[in-house]
Amino acid sequence: MKNAMHSIAIHAHAIRASLGNVQILHGIELALQRGRWTSIVGPNGAGKSTLLKVLAGLLPHTGSVTLLGQPLASLPGRLRAQQLAWLGQNETTGDDLTVWDVAMLGRLPHQPWLAAPSAADHAAVEQALRATQAWDWRGRTLGQLSGGERQRVLLARALAVQAQVLLMDEPLANLDPPHQADWLVLVRELVQHGTTVVSVLHEISMALHADQMVIMAQGRITHQGACADIATHRALENVFERRIAIHALGEQWVALPKVS
Amino acid sequence: MSAICRQQRLASWLGAGLLLASVVLLLLGASVGSTGFESVLKAWNDPVALQIVWDIRLPRTLGAWTAGALLGLAGAVAQGLFRNPLADPYLLGSASGASLGVALALVFFGVSPFATQWLVRLGLTGAAFAGAVGAVLLTLMLAKGVQHTLRLLLAGVIVGVVLGAFASLAMLMVPEVMQAMQAFMLGSTGYVGWTACALMAGVWLLCMGGAWMLSPVLDGLSLGEATAASLGLPLLQMRAALVVVLALATGTAVAQTGLIAFVGLAAPHLVRSVAKTTHGRLILLSSLMGGVLLMAADMLARWLIAPQELPVGVLTAMLGGGYLLWLMHRNSRSSAGASL
Amino acid sequence: MKNLCQKLLLCLAAASALMGASAAQALQVTDDRGVNVTFAQSPQRIVSLLPSLTETVCELGQCQRLVGVDRYSDFPLSVRALPQLGGGLDPNIEAIVALKPDVVLLATSSRAGERLQALGLKVLALEPKNHADVRRVLEKIGQLLDVPDAQRVWRVIDAAVSAAAQSLPASVKNTRVYFEVNRAPYAAGEASFIGETLARLGAKNIVPASLGPFPKLNPEYVVRANPDVIMVGDRNYAGMEGRPGWAGIRAIKERRVCVFSVAQSDVVVRPGPRMAEGARLMAQCLQGMQGRAP
Repeated sequence: MKNAMHSIAIHAHAIRASLGNVQILHGIELALQRGRWTSIVGPNGAGKSTLLKVLAGLLPHTGSVTLLGQPLASLPGRLRAQQLAWLGQNETTGDDLTVWDVAMLGRLPHQPWLAAPSAADHAAVEQALRATQAWDWRGRTLGQLSGGERQRVLLARALAVQAQVLLMDEPLANLDPPHQADWLVLVRELVQHGTTVVSVLHEISMALHADQMVIMAQGRITHQGACADIATHRALENVFERRIAIHALGEQWVALPKVS
Repeated sequence: MSAICRQQRLASWLGAGLLLASVVLLLLGASVGSTGFESVLKAWNDPVALQIVWDIRLPRTLGAWTAGALLGLAGAVAQGLFRNPLADPYLLGSASGASLGVALALVFFGVSPFATQWLVRLGLTGAAFAGAVGAVLLTLMLAKGVQHTLRLLLAGVIVGVVLGAFASLAMLMVPEVMQAMQAFMLGSTGYVGWTACALMAGVWLLCMGGAWMLSPVLDGLSLGEATAASLGLPLLQMRAALVVVLALATGTAVAQTGLIAFVGLAAPHLVRSVAKTTHGRLILLSSLMGGVLLMAADMLARWLIAPQELPVGVLTAMLGGGYLLWLMHRNSRSSAGASL
Repeated sequence: MKNLCQKLLLCLAAASALMGASAAQALQVTDDRGVNVTFAQSPQRIVSLLPSLTETVCELGQCQRLVGVDRYSDFPLSVRALPQLGGGLDPNIEAIVALKPDVVLLATSSRAGERLQALGLKVLALEPKNHADVRRVLEKIGQLLDVPDAQRVWRVIDAAVSAAAQSLPASVKNTRVYFEVNRAPYAAGEASFIGETLARLGAKNIVPASLGPFPKLNPEYVVRANPDVIMVGDRNYAGMEGRPGWAGIRAIKERRVCVFSVAQSDVVVRPGPRMAEGARLMAQCLQGMQGRAP
């Protein structure tokens, strides 16, 4: 029982959330397994980003969220930030910060207030920047980078936290195919080392590489299951109104839009 | 490591350069005024000349530095807090509040002996400070706290416009105060003495310490509000504290030297054009830059048409604006896409 | 027949005499903008939008012709009962037109003149700024209102100013005076109206004419000039001793500061027919301060 309890990284119960006057999430039940990669997919407006924010504790909601066995609401902010890293869709205005400075911001939850970066901080930042192939231009400012390069730096920031749970919203935005492949390798490595990864992805083919898949539509979860399951594929095709088809390609699954 | 160190080295050089410039301008400022350099030379023998240099010119020049430092600090905090490069210290209505305070004080000065007694104790500086801080409180009330930046900005604009309208109304009904108000609104270090200097320096130390301690929040906010929250930063309390620092710094500067435009807006940009750093160092450098800018402008204001004085606000706009224009021109020629 | 011819001739003579009289009554006045304004007869309904012009009209004994004034005109007390038509810079155009005035008197710096002229009203722009102006405006308005003895009125005022000057003992001559108009500090120089009055009283102004009528001074200048007497309005006086370096000025050390009340400031500052009273106020000040000299 104890094992079972600790094998759930995030548990969400009866979640309802609204943005302004519009209710986005209508009663979500979710249990995300520890040490696994779960991807959340669904049509536009399904509430995926909202759900991710709720799981990260960034939006007010009714219902309860538990992180690694503890209620999220009662966790002090700093402790939560050490255990959970969140990468959002691009809202950065810090064009004048250097790449290194941005990545170092990810270490804030671990640093004593106003302390200079420690050796551990330096090591974490270097590891994160090398993992996203951003180490070479760590002296450049964000404003000097292209969209894809920026995205990799922001990803490095999230990696630098070295949290046990990593939530990512559209992490592949602006990334070209080689870097998307790099990201895939990175996530697999993280999962191997015990990190729980949850990603909201538009790219269904990339999402199908995950261990588990959560399918959402109109603020509700329509299906949860392993990515390799046929039932999951059927549910996926249904939620997109049969306008996509899942094909096997070697060892991968690929989702292609049906062009009539 | 050398790539990271480059920006830090630039920042250190800039800081040293600004300190040196401050000292040079202080010496120059002591020798400029209605009489010029002879006063300094005569200071040893002539008590009037000594008084002029010691009691009037030195505190004015130092006062210009501290006021500029306060405005530069406030400008950097405002731009970080609102994540807007066009933000300036007067965003939350403090300029209009100070104007209204001064206008009301001037209007009521001669009206009744009771009012005059209290107003003399408060002084115009007190009235301006009270008006500035009052306006910020009004803005906070209208915006119902610091939760939503956009609502705060909007409330600040509304308060600024409404209080400014009331100040204009006061000027219209009692036109004798119009010239004095005009002088206040264009800024002057005319009556800054040693006590005013000490007050501003004390507030500067306080605000600098506070802003330094809160600077990680500004760094986090530059990544976005949600990201900053996800990093465990207590946004609500820290934003409220930053607004307090902003109001205090702006109110003190405005109370002593009037409304000096552009220093708060231009100083952070000028610093960023040399060195890109995190907010802790940015606020400090911006403060030093603001001090140098205002000291230079004040010196020119006193020197150009001596013994008459130009309003300092005109010169800060010309100096700061001119340099920014040159920077924009140079940047647009060399690299596209670089930030200002 | 002869009777008829005589009556006809008489009628013709009378008619021509009348025509000649009305031709003589056609007024032409040139205002400060250089514009010639013609009147068929002397205007009976007058609107004044400048306090000094209001006072001039009343000084010439034609107060009853005023139908409306601006909100700052407050002398003599009877004009306060008249309809107030806004300020000099922001007059209520509609209210002015509704009063159907024969002429509108306003300052040259007012933008309302063009608008009122476009609406068909006759506008005279006059703005007295120094002693010579007061005389000139007095005579012009006297001509406009068909008052024959405007020059006498001026002579009375002028004589009163001279009397105020003569009432001062010789020891008061050459007192060095600093007149502060407002706290920026703006001073009244030799070239201003106030400066001229001071000069006639025999006092010396620390601000020479070369700096202009109302220069914005560096406060250091006043400290260096070290005036004997300071004249200032009530509103601007508060806190003067606290200004850095000013406590050492002779006038402040010896408390030789004349503080004019709001009403007194109005009289002293306004270039109008009450300038004699203004001169008397300043003379009283100088005499009073004399008593405190060491």
